[in-house]
Amino acid sequence: MSDEFDLDILKTVKTPRPDAETRDRAMREALAAFDDEKKSAATQGSASGSRLMTILQRSWSTTMETLSKGRLMSGTAIATILAVPLAGYLAFMVMNDGYRPGFTGSQPMELAAGNTDDRVRREVARPAPEPAPREAEERDRSIVLSEAMPQAAPPASYVQQGALAKRSLVGDGSAKVMPGMERLSRDRFESFETSSVRAVLEDPVSTFSIDVDTASYAVIRRALMEGRLPDPDSVRVEELINYFNYAYPLPDSREAPFGVNVSVSPTPWNADTKLMHIGIQGYDIVPAERPAANLVFLIDVSGSMDAPDKLPLLKSAFRLLLDKLDARDTVSIVTYAGNAGTVLEPTKADEREKILEAIDNLQPGGTTAGAAGIEQAYKLARQARVEGGVNRVMLASDGDFNVGASSDEELKRIIEDERDDGIFLSVFGFGKGNYNDQLMQVLAQNGNGTAAYIDTLAEAQKTLVEEAGSTLFPIAKDVKIQVEFNPETVAEYRLIGYETRALKREDFNNDRVDAGDIGSGHSVTAIYEITPVGSPAVQNDPLRYGETEQAAASGDASDEYAFLKLRYKLPNETKSHLMTTPVGPAFDKASLAALSTDAQFSIAVAAFGQKLRDTDAVANYSWDEIRELAAGARGADPYGYRSEFLRLIGLAESLDR
Amino acid sequence: MMTIAGDALSPSDAIAGDGDQALAVRASAGDREAFARLLERHYDTIHRIAWRWCGDGTEADDIAQDVAVKLGRAISGWRAEASFPSWLYRIVLNTVRDRQRARASERRRVEAYAVQKLVDAQGGGGADDDPAARLWSAVGSLPDRQRDAVLLVHGEGLSHDEAAGVMGVSEGTVSFHIHEAKKKLRTMMQASEDELS
Repeated sequence: MSDEFDLDILKTVKTPRPDAETRDRAMREALAAFDDEKKSAATQGSASGSRLMTILQRSWSTTMETLSKGRLMSGTAIATILAVPLAGYLAFMVMNDGYRPGFTGSQPMELAAGNTDDRVRREVARPAPEPAPREAEERDRSIVLSEAMPQAAPPASYVQQGALAKRSLVGDGSAKVMPGMERLSRDRFESFETSSVRAVLEDPVSTFSIDVDTASYAVIRRALMEGRLPDPDSVRVEELINYFNYAYPLPDSREAPFGVNVSVSPTPWNADTKLMHIGIQGYDIVPAERPAANLVFLIDVSGSMDAPDKLPLLKSAFRLLLDKLDARDTVSIVTYAGNAGTVLEPTKADEREKILEAIDNLQPGGTTAGAAGIEQAYKLARQARVEGGVNRVMLASDGDFNVGASSDEELKRIIEDERDDGIFLSVFGFGKGNYNDQLMQVLAQNGNGTAAYIDTLAEAQKTLVEEAGSTLFPIAKDVKIQVEFNPETVAEYRLIGYETRALKREDFNNDRVDAGDIGSGHSVTAIYEITPVGSPAVQNDPLRYGETEQAAASGDASDEYAFLKLRYKLPNETKSHLMTTPVGPAFDKASLAALSTDAQFSIAVAAFGQKLRDTDAVANYSWDEIRELAAGARGADPYGYRSEFLRLIGLAESLDR
Repeated sequence: MMTIAGDALSPSDAIAGDGDQALAVRASAGDREAFARLLERHYDTIHRIAWRWCGDGTEADDIAQDVAVKLGRAISGWRAEASFPSWLYRIVLNTVRDRQRARASERRRVEAYAVQKLVDAQGGGGADDDPAARLWSAVGSLPDRQRDAVLLVHGEGLSHDEAAGVMGVSEGTVSFHIHEAKKKLRTMMQASEDELS
């Protein structure tokens, strides 16, 4: 097949017939919309509005063509534009413009029938100079022509109307524009475009919330593992970066619950820019107060668990949880499949090797015998009971839970009895396909526990770690970062990722604006790509009429790159604390190698995520180079996350050709 | 407006019928009957495009309905010098994309399920034996731009030039996307061959 690779067979793919009922309804609704539109065309528009409209139209037609693809606007949307500065709106559109097969900017109009103003006609004949990228428009016309040619000359009246339409497009000042403009994609601005490069002179302040989760990593991993490149929209670079644990250094003083580490280094993918790397490391401040945990894992290893998102995922999740336990805690493992069996007697959680070996040796096979497994699990739980601590059986299954000889009622009774005895049951569902949600819910409810569905490791982290061990305590909440760049040293900047976490500048000081939390021992990373003043990589031309006076920073601050501000609240406070760090030349690192391996690794992940998002900045940075950087910064990697990441790079590379 | 058309292209016969342009002109000027006829003619086409892009019958019905209503609202803004087929493609593609985007967060959660559904829709009933269906399914997993380019050119029979018009990019970009897509598809199809054998 690969020899004669004929894409044209796509034409032969059979298409189902449209649903007749839907079709009829669609026709009716479309005609109703058509009528509505005509009505509003007749009533909208006012003399007072026409001048504004002319201005709008003029900038619009050129802008639309500059964009080469337009955006349709509804009457409401136009009203919005009129209410905000037009230039700002258009600039926003330009800056945020990503690829979309757009709707040509078709400005609806009320045909001023009979208006054949000479001035207008001249404009039609000689359209205003248009910016270059107009291929789409030209092409449209060509297609029109080629269609119009072979067919008999259209009735004159149509031509006439077409000409009129064209004329009012150009704008004669009297056209009443309003109807029919529908913005086809309401969510365009909310949709998530990669952060664009910002000019420091125009937009010196960048504000965002550290609120991050890690779900995106699991999603892209699943995609890659399944042999396809992830949907670029599913790639949130900051979630990829923050998926990994980084052990950034902590400051000696404990004034704040976390430390902030900043470094400025060369950019691996661009010799003419630098990376400003911000690593926040939370103190591990509460472990001493945590109650001891006695956890018995009851793991379904039946044949149906033999899927990447079941047993292997469960193993990874288990590792994650183990990472949060220590010598005070005990872990036991019971499996059920065919015969229930104890795989691991109660073992202190710091005997990692022994526990991990037991986990790694779990093999799927056989049918499920749940009831025997549950009894065995409770037996172990009683054996290792911790008074005043957490005693819990954690059932992990894909829901294919065969209770064997026992009835459901009896199983419920056992679970309730044990609950009253202080041993709770939590249920974790894995996999897709035959997941029996209802049974799992029932089991958990009766066991005083939670039922959670774990489809990703991130989800495992949330549910297993937070719920079961109670080991994760927030140490700071509403953590926000604001960076003000110094226009004397930095021409442009671009925040890598965090597109969906942006805050308004004024929100930074508003304590009522919610932001993300930092858990005990957590680290959070943010990376800016900055373009120094005078670098050949500067993308925005300087403003001819820009402010000539530079931001009047204090005298000796002129060599600083930026001023970093961070706000946070302690978990039980409502008033925020402020931390500031001027980022001066002292933070400069001559090479990437001078950074900590953690920082280097996070940069490799940033490159990876951007490449998956098809970000221009990393277009010339190869998968190989990313892998090299990541491999060199892998470090100890006790749980294999970083090794897994290296494998993902390989998968992405093989799919991307 | 006719003077601009020096270099005539091969007409896109994919969806354009005789008189569409004329009907569209009348409809945009407020002729209700013309609009009804135009929609009547193209509803099935719209549905077909939607289905090819999203791969789900119910979803295609929903999209077609959305598009129909949008046409009703937007036809008065359609410009006579724009090609009706290109315009229609753009609306359908935008609608597909918007729905997919709107569902992105939901999709992230149920992505696995959606994939499964697509596989089920294609995989069952001996679809595996149909190279076209397998190829189409692989095309669905391409990045948006590549998918659009491949489906427009090879699925819908547009020229690179016309596809460029629909996508709002240059002809070279379309050719590039198709080139990239072919590379990927070759790998994917090879992999599935291996699996089958």
